[in-house]
Amino acid sequence: MGGAGRVSKRVGGCGSLDAPGWAALFLVLASGALLHAHHSVLAYDGATPTTLTGTVVKVLWQNPHAYIDLDVTADGTRTRWIVENEGPVALERLGWTKSTLTPGDVVTITGARARDGGARLRCASVTLVDARRLPCFASGGT
Amino acid sequence: MIRTSLFAALTVAATAALVAQEPIPQPRTSGGCPVESRAFHDCATAKARTFKPTRTRDGHPDFQGYWRSRNNGIAYDVESGPGSFAVPPTLGEIIEPADKKIPYQPWALARRNELRTKGFEDPQGHCAPSGAPRKNNTLFGWRIIQPRGYVVFLYESMHDYRIIPTDGRQHLPKSIKMWHGDPVGRWEGDTLVVDYTNLNGKHWFDMSGNFQSENIHVVERYTMFTPDTIHFVATIEDATMYTRPWTLNFSLERNKEPGYYQLEYACHEGERDLQHFTDDTGRGESKTFREK
Amino acid sequence: MMALSALIAAAFAATLTAQQAAPAYRPPRLPNGHPDLQGIWQVRNTANWNLQAHGGSYKTPAGLGVVVDPPEGLIPYRPEALAIKEKNWASRETADPLEKCYLAGVPRTMYLPYPLQILQTETEVAILSEYVHTWRWIPLTPLARYPGYESWMGDPRGRWDGDTLVIETVGHNDQTWFDHAGNFHSDALKVTERLRRTAADVITYEATMEDAKVFTRPWTIRMPLYLHRDMDRILENECYIYAEEAGKPIRGEHPK
Repeated sequence: MGGAGRVSKRVGGCGSLDAPGWAALFLVLASGALLHAHHSVLAYDGATPTTLTGTVVKVLWQNPHAYIDLDVTADGTRTRWIVENEGPVALERLGWTKSTLTPGDVVTITGARARDGGARLRCASVTLVDARRLPCFASGGT
Repeated sequence: MIRTSLFAALTVAATAALVAQEPIPQPRTSGGCPVESRAFHDCATAKARTFKPTRTRDGHPDFQGYWRSRNNGIAYDVESGPGSFAVPPTLGEIIEPADKKIPYQPWALARRNELRTKGFEDPQGHCAPSGAPRKNNTLFGWRIIQPRGYVVFLYESMHDYRIIPTDGRQHLPKSIKMWHGDPVGRWEGDTLVVDYTNLNGKHWFDMSGNFQSENIHVVERYTMFTPDTIHFVATIEDATMYTRPWTLNFSLERNKEPGYYQLEYACHEGERDLQHFTDDTGRGESKTFREK
Repeated sequence: MMALSALIAAAFAATLTAQQAAPAYRPPRLPNGHPDLQGIWQVRNTANWNLQAHGGSYKTPAGLGVVVDPPEGLIPYRPEALAIKEKNWASRETADPLEKCYLAGVPRTMYLPYPLQILQTETEVAILSEYVHTWRWIPLTPLARYPGYESWMGDPRGRWDGDTLVIETVGHNDQTWFDHAGNFHSDALKVTERLRRTAADVITYEATMEDAKVFTRPWTIRMPLYLHRDMDRILENECYIYAEEAGKPIRGEHPK
C-alpha cells in the first residue's frame, strides 16, 4: 500500500468469462426460472442473449447505472443502442475505470435485450479494443 | 484465475440445479464453518463459545475495520432460489422456521407473490436506504468504527450509515417512523445486540417481493467467532404479517484486500439532472426503469 | 472629578486585564489527549442560502455573511467565473443541486439546516449528516490517496494541529455549490477546514477554498457550530424519497 498506481479494487466478480460459462447462464434462463429478479434487470430478457458490435458514442459514468450509447450498423442501417450497466463503484471493482471506453472505440457487448424489443441492452460483458473482456456485473446486490 | 472458476462453478451449479433438481452444491466456508444457513448457525455458535476476541480500550470486542457480507445471493432472495440473469443462486439465509421460508399469514403470502414479479417496486431501486437487517446483505462492504459508547457502520453503498449507541437508551416516540429505524444497542457479554423499532415498514427484505409492514420489530446480534468473521443473526417479528417470528443469519467477513479503499456511491446523480448534460465522459441524464 | 474618573478608568482597565488573563477554554479530551469534539452540532446562520452578506428575500432570511477573507466578504471570482455564478444565481431555484436532493459537498455539508453528529476514535473522525444519511470518514493517519478519486463529498485527510482539527479535502467533482446563491467551484477545488472547540457548546469552524480555475486567490469562511442539547441522536432525511412520495419524483431523460 502507499505510493503511486492504482490500488486493487476487486471484491468478488470475474476477470474474464469463457463461452461455456455464459452458455450455462443462458440455459438457466431458457428454463424460465425468472422468479428472482434484480429490480433493474426486470425489463430485460435474460433468456435472449444478444451480442452487438458497434462504436461507442458516449459513456454516462454515473449512479445508479452507468450507460454506454453504442451505434450499431446492420444491413446498412445504423441504430443507437443504450446499454445499461451497474454503477461506477461496482464497475470499478470489476476492473473498469471512467476512461475504459472512449467515444469512437469499436467494441462488442453481450447482454440481455429489453423485453419490449427496443434498442436497449443490459450489459453482461464487453470486449474492448485491446481484446480484454470485462464483465458488467458481479454476483451481488446493492 | 480463482474468480473465473468460481463464477463458472456457480453458473454450472445453477444449471445443474435446474436440470437435476438437486440441492445446489456448496463448497464454500466462512470462518471454517459451512455457509448453508442452519449449518452455519450451529458451527458459528459453537466456535464463539471458546473464541476470545481482541478488545477495545473499554473492554468490548473490537469489530473495527473493513467488512463485507458473505453474500450467497441473499441480497436477491432471503429464501432459497436457483437464480436467473445477473442473479446468482442462493441457499437463503433463514434458520427459523425450519422450512427456511418466511412464515407469512395467507394474505401476506399472496401479496408477496404478487410483488415478486414487480421487482421495479423494490424501494432499494428507488434509492431508499435498506434498513435493518437488509443493509448487511450489501455486496459493497462497510467500515466499522467504535467510538466510546457507540458502534458505527459506514457503508459504501449509498454512503449509508448506522449509528448504534451501546448504552441501552430509550427508543424514540412511536410516532416517528424512519427507513433506518431507531437502533439501540447493548453488549450482552461479547455479543452486540441491536434493537430496532420505529422502522417505517416500507422496505423489502430483498429484491423478490418480501415486503414489510410498519409493525416490524427487528433484533440483530453480532458475535465474533474467529478474528475475521462475525456471526450475524436477525430476528424479525410482526404479528400482523407473520404466524410467528422468524430468524435469519449469515457471516460477515473482514475485507483484508490490500489497498482496499471505500469509494463514494451516491445513489442518484446524473439520471435526475437536466442541467449537467455532456456528450462524452458524462454526467448526463438517463432513464431509470420504473415500469409499472 | 479628574481623580475619580481616572480611578474608574484604572479599575475598568484592571478588570479587562483580569478577563484577558482568564484561562482559555479547555476542551474535554480523548485518552490520547486529542480534544473531544463529539456531539450533535448545527449552525444557526444563513450560510446555506448565501455565504456573502445579503438582505432578506422570498423564502430566504437575511444574513451577515460568513466570508472572513477577503476582508470585504466577497468571494474572489475570476471574471469569467463570476459570469457563471450570476447565471447560477438567476436559475438557483431549479439549478441548486440540493433542489434535486443531490449531496451537498464540502464545505456546504457542515452548514446545512440539518444536524451533524461528530464521533471520534484515536485514529479517525466521522462526521455524519442527517441530510440523506451522508458520512465523512476522516482518517488521522497518512493514508495514500486513491488515484482519480472523484466524488460529491471529496476525499478527506485529517490531522491535529495543537487543539485544532485540520481536514484537507480534494477529489471533489464540479457538481456541488457552496450555497443556494450559486457560488460554485471546479473539480480542482481543495478545501482546508479547521475545527476548534472554543467553548463547551461551540466549535469554531473555518474553511479555506483554493481553486485556481474559478477564483483569483484562496478565500475563507468562518462560523460557529453549536451543540444540540435537545437531542441525543440524529434522525433522518430521505430527500428524494420524500419527493417521490409527494408525487414529484425527481427524474431525468437519457440524453439524445
